[in-house]
Amino acid sequence: MDVTARIHEQLTKCGVRIAASLPDDWVAPLIERIAADNQIRHVRVAREAEAIAICSGAFFGGVRSVALMGATGLLTCTGELATLNLRHQIPVFLIVSQRGSIDDHRIYQEVQGRRTLPLLEAYDFPYHIVDRPEEVGAIPDAFEACRMQKRPFVLFLTRRLVKGEGAA
Amino acid sequence: MKARDAIDVLARHRGEAVAVCALGMAANEWWAATKSEDSFYMHGAMGFAASFALGLALSLPQVPVWLINADGSLCMNLGCLLTEASQAASNLKHFVVANGVYQTVGGLPMVNDGRTDYAAMARAAGFPRARTIEALDELERQLPAIAAEDGPSLTVLRVEPETGFLRTPPMTYEGPEMKYRFGRALERRFGIEVFGPQGY
Repeated sequence: MDVTARIHEQLTKCGVRIAASLPDDWVAPLIERIAADNQIRHVRVAREAEAIAICSGAFFGGVRSVALMGATGLLTCTGELATLNLRHQIPVFLIVSQRGSIDDHRIYQEVQGRRTLPLLEAYDFPYHIVDRPEEVGAIPDAFEACRMQKRPFVLFLTRRLVKGEGAA
Repeated sequence: MKARDAIDVLARHRGEAVAVCALGMAANEWWAATKSEDSFYMHGAMGFAASFALGLALSLPQVPVWLINADGSLCMNLGCLLTEASQAASNLKHFVVANGVYQTVGGLPMVNDGRTDYAAMARAAGFPRARTIEALDELERQLPAIAAEDGPSLTVLRVEPETGFLRTPPMTYEGPEMKYRFGRALERRFGIEVFGPQGY
């Protein structure tokens, strides 16, 4: 089973019924896999903060959800995560590519690699990094931790996880 | 048409709808008119009340969801119109209280003051139904049909900017308390589980 199938399987195990997404190329295969699942309502958005607010509204409808995006998109919605989710203690589970890592040789991702984790720590948003296919089974625990902590929780996918060992 | 009067008419025709209000004037006036706990009053994320309402509407497809938005908030993320149109939630009605100013900070004019046609923008985004209403009697006359039609629809309520600071007070609770009052109200009304057996 490839890694996107494993992640999809774990999200299903969490009871996710709505996924809101804006792709970067690392999470695009996962998004398209979820989009093909008729048990999950997939919402393509025009800006990442829409995904955050859609998941927040779904919480009050009693529906479990996930927001999928790239690291750059995560940086664009920190204001909404703070003023909606932190302010009202609304959990939102995000799956985000961990761009800007040492094996991500894209100059336009460099700042995201250096500053994203310190930024999340400043906001006190918990996160968990999944680096190996065998770690994907941690997703239900991460999802539950998100609900218990009542705030944004970011599950990062590394380059090695989504692109494979040693991929250029 | 005054904003308070327009909101009063919406409140009278609300029926079973759950409301989501953009922060500021729309939320404060809806609270003044309804004192309702089965309404969510945004206190932040300006521009994203529409997305919150969409998530709620998709989660509760049998429940009418009314979004009480404002022009300042809508303009923070006009892309929400594309997302709403694409999802075609038949239970979602989008109202935009449009006064052309940032009312709660003293009535300073908005960008492109007076020239923007939000209903035309919604139609161009793919909304099957969108219109602008400028008079209170027209709103009274059209609202029953608007409430009964399939969504998504967008209705712009063109209201006068108020002179001076509009001091309608906000709702008397906030933050986590709003989360729990709203969530518990929806649990009671619809028999859903928002918080789980341990309360989170």
